[in-house]
Amino acid sequence: MVASGLAIQTRQLTKIYPGFWKSQQVAALAELNLAVDRSQIFGLLGPNGSGKTTTIKLLLGLINPTAGDALVMGKPAGDQDTRRVIGYLPEESYLYRFLNARQTLDFYARLFNMNRAERRRAVDYYLDFVGLDPAVRSRRIGTYSKGQARRVALAQALLNNPDLIIMDEPTSGLDPVGMLEIKNMILRLKEAGKTVLLSSHQLADVEDVCDRLVILYRGRVEIQGTLNDLLEVKDTFQLEARGVTPEVQAQLMEVVQRNGLTDVRTGRPRVRLEDIFKNLVDSKRKVDRR
Amino acid sequence: MHHSINYMSLVADAVILIILVGFVLTAFRDVARLGTGVSRAWAVGRTTFIEAWHNRMWAIPIVWMVICLILGFAIVRGYTPGSEVRVYLTIFLRAQEIILLLYLGILACLSLPRERERKTLITTGAKPVTRLELLLGKIMGLAAAALAMLLVMMIFTWAFMKVVDHRIRGDAMAVYQLQKKNYNSLVRHVPPDFGLLYTARHGVLQAQNYITGTLHIAGLISYAHNPPIRYMKGGSTETVYFEFPSIPANLSYQPDFLFNFGLLPVGHPASLHITAIQRDNPMVTEEATVKLNASGEAAWTPKHRFRFFAYTDPKTGKISNPGPVVLKVTCPTFHVYLQIGDGTHVSNTSCLVTGVNAAMLHEHGLDYILPKPDPVITGFKSNGWQEITGPGKTGRTPPEVASWEFRHLNPLNIPTIKGDKFDVHLICGVSKETNEAIPTYAALVAYAQDDPTHPVKLLQLHINEKRVTDVQLPRRLLDGSPLIINLSSIVHGHWLKIRTNSVRIMQKPSSFIGNLFKTELVVFCEVILLITIGVVSGTALGWPVALLTTLCCYILGNLFHFVSELAKANGFELLNLVQQHRLQGVWYYQLGSFVSGVMVHVLEILVYLLPNFTRFAPLPFITASRNMPWLFLAQNILAAIISMVPAIAFGYIVMRRRELS
Repeated sequence: MVASGLAIQTRQLTKIYPGFWKSQQVAALAELNLAVDRSQIFGLLGPNGSGKTTTIKLLLGLINPTAGDALVMGKPAGDQDTRRVIGYLPEESYLYRFLNARQTLDFYARLFNMNRAERRRAVDYYLDFVGLDPAVRSRRIGTYSKGQARRVALAQALLNNPDLIIMDEPTSGLDPVGMLEIKNMILRLKEAGKTVLLSSHQLADVEDVCDRLVILYRGRVEIQGTLNDLLEVKDTFQLEARGVTPEVQAQLMEVVQRNGLTDVRTGRPRVRLEDIFKNLVDSKRKVDRR
Repeated sequence: MHHSINYMSLVADAVILIILVGFVLTAFRDVARLGTGVSRAWAVGRTTFIEAWHNRMWAIPIVWMVICLILGFAIVRGYTPGSEVRVYLTIFLRAQEIILLLYLGILACLSLPRERERKTLITTGAKPVTRLELLLGKIMGLAAAALAMLLVMMIFTWAFMKVVDHRIRGDAMAVYQLQKKNYNSLVRHVPPDFGLLYTARHGVLQAQNYITGTLHIAGLISYAHNPPIRYMKGGSTETVYFEFPSIPANLSYQPDFLFNFGLLPVGHPASLHITAIQRDNPMVTEEATVKLNASGEAAWTPKHRFRFFAYTDPKTGKISNPGPVVLKVTCPTFHVYLQIGDGTHVSNTSCLVTGVNAAMLHEHGLDYILPKPDPVITGFKSNGWQEITGPGKTGRTPPEVASWEFRHLNPLNIPTIKGDKFDVHLICGVSKETNEAIPTYAALVAYAQDDPTHPVKLLQLHINEKRVTDVQLPRRLLDGSPLIINLSSIVHGHWLKIRTNSVRIMQKPSSFIGNLFKTELVVFCEVILLITIGVVSGTALGWPVALLTTLCCYILGNLFHFVSELAKANGFELLNLVQQHRLQGVWYYQLGSFVSGVMVHVLEILVYLLPNFTRFAPLPFITASRNMPWLFLAQNILAAIISMVPAIAFGYIVMRRRELS
């Protein structure tokens, strides 16, 4: 049924949440057909209630489909062996509040049958990887800030060095620096040959990292394709250069007018607010460290 | 014997079978993975344990200790030393049981619903852990919490009891020394109490192992004869049972039951109340009252003799055999004693069947059938105690005698003391009708059943109310034949209150800590079963409903016997409304009766379906200073496992169908 190259494939995947009466039934997902290649960052977009989280839960086997089926890494969704190669970051950091970061990761590492040495190594490595402050690692998660808890949640998703990482709103609760770090991390994961399924409302994030994406609306696929295919404006040309003097600019405008081009916009390029924020925080942190 | 089929029990068994089959069909993959899954289940259990710790689990033993100490010191005043320990142990262990059941039951009910509410189950469920492992993990974690708390409580109980025991031993020795001093200086006439010395030496915490015999003779015994002659007391609850094997009879003759009792006083008018029972079908009975003549003789022919005699139908040639027949005989006449023969010969039997078969007459030269020898005499009162009287005022009436029979004694299991003796303990109650100022003394006669001519007689044993009287008997009595020990009060007006275990052949005592450990394990079995029910309830229900469900299961599990008895009545009979005959033809009475009957049967199915909590009774052993047999512990563990397996199977099936988020 499935080509071995696909990380995720769904066929007519449908989920209807039953109501007390038939009229109260809710179709969260309707006949979803999806194919995600390996080593790809795949975006899952859509407004609230479009079926993103339902799709993810179906792929993880947390809920049962009403119809259709799904294969993840070549095996049926929800299969115990499949879950060994999946990392999942839920939309909120659903962690045990009474455990500290180390205990949390140790618990999840035990679920992957890691031995004591492997567990210790993995816990330290991934807590460093997600940049959790060592001073808070022995504190209970109940006392963490949202961002700190998010980092622990991310660490647990990566703990088993998964081939497929499913991230539901990975940047939620993070400051812009954290967001940028996560984005860089996702790109690093791709470089390492991992497949990432990314569900987010932050369109800029998706735009920055995704290779392909699908947009869902009320449980149905509305748009699907690569980022370039979807975002490229075919009949528009953009030129950007340094050292453009007013004379050169006037000459360029003359060429534009001569050729009768319309909707011409000129101006100075702007850096992104995100970059300014990150540079500021980075510099301040360096000062703090001194 | 005829057994009625309990259909409600069958329905419950069928439901359990369906659950188990469903489990096997759905869970075989998850069960196969349990090899590596145990560590994953334990990971879940470990987290559950840590959660319990953060839920102030550590405070529970402290609260328990405080409650026990307050209750203990408040209640225990005025008790005798032996009873003091019993009271402490009852309070400590009962409080432990209640607190653990309450606390861990609540935690178990909260466990899964709270994970669902906090959505931590989503993160965990995305890992390679099966639902069976999740379920087992939750149970394991809470079981570990129970075990940890029980361990702390057990150590505290042990330490506290050791302190109490130390004090009691010191006190007992001091009193014994005083009694001895007074006795030696003739201030005291009664020798010092051996029980005190025993307490001072061994303490009151020993977990005693002992062998109990069967107490099946009650009445007077005259030792003037060998073997001794037994008497049944008239006007009492004492009953003699004559059991006949199948009685073949040619019905052209008239078979009779003939009775021949020795009568004391001779010639006193007396009557017998006879109940004939088909042994294998006890519903078939016939009752009669007959008068004994001056020689103590009577004859009785059942009206429906076909019910009790095997006979051949002359027309069809068919043999009808109702099987063995038991005659239950009581004497309703006060102030008489019936002498019961041992039934080994026609000359010394108190009952036989005569006129049975002409053919037998020629073949064996007999026309009678004897009952089984040594007919059983019982006279137990309803509360399990039997009182035996002392001798008559003039001494002409002998005292009543209680007799214990110990069969299959293995001498290797009975320790030797003082070279060639073994230890027997007597524990009797005493009630004094007259002669209140005189101490109670008893006579003990022990002999091997095969050699009644060489009895051991201890004719003046000092009996203290419910305290141990230590007796040493020669080991020659353990020669392989059943050992008979007879006991009687020798003081006029002093009654001995005895039970089956009032005479005990002592074995090597076990340690108190070992007995306490076994007791705690039985409590653990009960707690882990409730934990399982709580966790399983939480798979499908929110925590308030799960809590209520678990509570109902526990209550119904404790009402097992009550409900199964209740269901033997039907409809409004349960409410004692059956006497209102005028209502019985009315439609609403019949409808109500039908509905209530259905409800009770549903309840009955439920109690058969749910675990029976009444079987977990750890206290009777340790509070009676008796070692809990390993077999009892094994039965409890097995019962817990047998009850847990269908519960876990049911929880798994529900959890498998239910989505994790």
